[in-house]
Amino acid sequence: MTYQTLTTQIDGMASDFLFLDDRDIDIASAGKFLNYLDQIVAEGEKVGAAPILKVSRSLSHILGKWLIDQVKDKEAGFGMIEKGISLMQEVAESYKNTGAYGGDVGPFVADCANLLGEDIPATEVSTEAVSTASDVKTGVPAAEIAAAAPPREAAAPVDQLQDDSLLKDFIVEASEYIDEIEVNILNLEQEPENKDYINAIFRPFHSIKGVASFLNLTIIRDLAHKLENLLDKARNAELDVTPPVIDVVLDGADALKVLVNKLKTDPESSQKIPEGLDLDDLKKRIQMVEEGRVDIPAKKKLGEILVEDGVISQETLKKGLDVAEKKPGTKIGEALISEGDVTPKQVSQALRKQVEQVSDASTIRVDTRKLDDMIDMVGELVITQSMVQQDLNMSLHADRNLMRDIAQLFRITSGLQRASTGLRMIPIKQTFQRMSRLVRDLSKAAAKNVAVEMEGEETEIDRNMVDEIYNPLVHMIRNSVDHGLEVSADRLRAGKPEKGLIRLSAYHRGGNIVIEIADDGRGLNKEKILEKAIKNRVIQSGDGLTDAEIYRLIFLPGLSTAEKVTDISGRGVGMDVVKQAVEKLRGKIEIESKVGEGTTFITRFPLTMAIIDGMIVKVGPERYILPTTAIRQALRPARESYNNVVGKGETINVMGQLMPLVRLYQLFGIEPEHKDPWEAIGVVVEGEDRSKCLLVDKIVGKAEVVIKSLGEGFKNIKGISGGAILGDGQVGLIIDPEGLFDFSEK
Amino acid sequence: MDKSIKILIVDDFATMRKVIRNLLKQSGYENIVEAEDGVNALKILKSQKIDFIVSDWNMPNMSGLELLKAVRADEDLKTLPFLMVTAEALQENVVAAVKAGVSNYIVKPFTSETLDEKIKKIMEKM
Repeated sequence: MTYQTLTTQIDGMASDFLFLDDRDIDIASAGKFLNYLDQIVAEGEKVGAAPILKVSRSLSHILGKWLIDQVKDKEAGFGMIEKGISLMQEVAESYKNTGAYGGDVGPFVADCANLLGEDIPATEVSTEAVSTASDVKTGVPAAEIAAAAPPREAAAPVDQLQDDSLLKDFIVEASEYIDEIEVNILNLEQEPENKDYINAIFRPFHSIKGVASFLNLTIIRDLAHKLENLLDKARNAELDVTPPVIDVVLDGADALKVLVNKLKTDPESSQKIPEGLDLDDLKKRIQMVEEGRVDIPAKKKLGEILVEDGVISQETLKKGLDVAEKKPGTKIGEALISEGDVTPKQVSQALRKQVEQVSDASTIRVDTRKLDDMIDMVGELVITQSMVQQDLNMSLHADRNLMRDIAQLFRITSGLQRASTGLRMIPIKQTFQRMSRLVRDLSKAAAKNVAVEMEGEETEIDRNMVDEIYNPLVHMIRNSVDHGLEVSADRLRAGKPEKGLIRLSAYHRGGNIVIEIADDGRGLNKEKILEKAIKNRVIQSGDGLTDAEIYRLIFLPGLSTAEKVTDISGRGVGMDVVKQAVEKLRGKIEIESKVGEGTTFITRFPLTMAIIDGMIVKVGPERYILPTTAIRQALRPARESYNNVVGKGETINVMGQLMPLVRLYQLFGIEPEHKDPWEAIGVVVEGEDRSKCLLVDKIVGKAEVVIKSLGEGFKNIKGISGGAILGDGQVGLIIDPEGLFDFSEK
Repeated sequence: MDKSIKILIVDDFATMRKVIRNLLKQSGYENIVEAEDGVNALKILKSQKIDFIVSDWNMPNMSGLELLKAVRADEDLKTLPFLMVTAEALQENVVAAVKAGVSNYIVKPFTSETLDEKIKKIMEKM
């Protein structure tokens, strides 16, 4: 065993220590020493020099306390570190010469603890050193340290911040954060172990606390701090996320919301608790949950319920339990029935009571995964049904009775499909309400007067889609409030009502949900868009562009026309990101705008991500599914419309526009029925920013198909987004236009 | 001391950035840029010359500590002054930051004077 490395490390630290100025340890030196000590601990463990470990851990601890200003007597602390270093030198030297150390480092470790005011008997010194190290690792609860820490620096007086808009900003941002908490906590309830969700809830509380402390909002700060501590424990796995924890965090978020809202109407209210809000009770509950004193109400045993209801006596129950025990596999209810103590009806009533304890009778919570599985299975059933139908249509001599029964089966299957898809549907109302709250907050921040109107809130949408569409919608709303609507003075000058209007409407159209966000503001400025697009070299000139085409330019990257970046919209995310987000969900976005009258964003989303509305096309023997949303038109190209320009590739002239021709059979290596475009069918398909004409043999029909993933192995195939089982049981691949275009250009 | 140094504020909470910006302005620092998280901060550090970083500890995507480590690992930014803003002086966190090479830390809430003092102290050592 060589101790060379160890002595070199200790000597290095000693010499650096010697060169410190003014017997003071600055942060850079402390960092250097802490890193030295880490190395020494690692090396000490390697060579098994236990006394070194004890000393170096004590020194690390002193340095840590020094850094957070908890070493009262700096001179003594400095002396202690000095002493520790020479002690380590002595121990290392001894190990180097004899392979052991005869002295005792216990007194030194105890001195260190004394210095820090930590009361540890010398005999337990070694375990203490270890436990300190582990404390440091797991993170001492913030509250404990805070209690020992020097008194907080007084908050910067709000007037020192000289900006009353800060409070407004805080209200808007904090409200948004609280909304975020609500969403994440519902996710957390599904996956209580998920650290990401815990973090996502912890952080907003933490941020709210931080700003509140600057703005002297003591009540908000204290509450956020308590909730943050609770979540910190959950984060460090010191606390299980049980329903009571979730409840208390939700209640806490609600209370914060009330407090923050109160600031809006009454900025002076920051020091008093609004009426009707029992913060003391809430804090008490937080504490109880934190100490793990609230348990999930345990299910009562069947026997207990029977005794409570007076059906049997305590003795009868005991007798029954003995009987049940003798015969393994016998439940207490069965035993009691077989003994003739109770009737089966009494047992079933008690069982029902037992179940009702844990669940509300009229609604039950179901894991969404189970729901998805079921809907998937129903999808399969529908496919099988259409397979049976095809078989039947082919056999001419089918039994009349059989035909009738099967027709009945079909009706039931369709009903089942409708019902099961309906399970996951929820009204868009909740999303709209969140957005109208957002409008309110945003308009306050932008000092604009805005009213919100809602239409079609009852329109239903897949639960899985709700969270997905929220962010793009929020962004469009931000845009409308911030850039679309004018300030009151400008509106009055333009002869409009002072109050701006944002209308949210939703309706179903052709298997899609359409959501419109309309404002009655100034409308899009065509000249400005063109100017910017030309400046950014997106287009050469605006000649020949229709209004709709000009508006569509704002969906290109880097083309926001707002003159100033504001706190609300200026976050580096433009309409291009919105468009991408919408398209990722297989949705579409359009703009309508009139100068002086307003702008409307029209978004269309599929009702569900599980089913796709597609057109089935045939190429040779294979069938493919094209998403209907991507199809612009289908045609049989005329011989004259076909062009082959050297260097530019093949094109088809579709109503005056030259569309690049993509021969599907070439891409997929299939032998087609027709190779000449004028004998085949051309389908004009739109990608993200280009359209092409796909050449297929024929169009088979339209169908709604259940999307199936192709599994891990085929996940990254360009041009194919999934597969589906078609009516005859064969598999058809679903085409992803954008990916296919990329593939065709290679 | 030179008050024209370019300071980068990193915090995910926009209001917090504004608070710090205001406090800096009161001490006469006018040259300020902002980033909402560590990832964006690194982008800014790559594209402009920054003289001083004031970064929050707890941020999504990339925490203040991760940003600090990334900065110290970068040959061009290795010695860049880095002031960490924390909610409380938690020994574990402070030690981790100091080991990673933080220039100093400051505990919320603070006044413009304290902030100015910390900045001056760090800049004097440069």
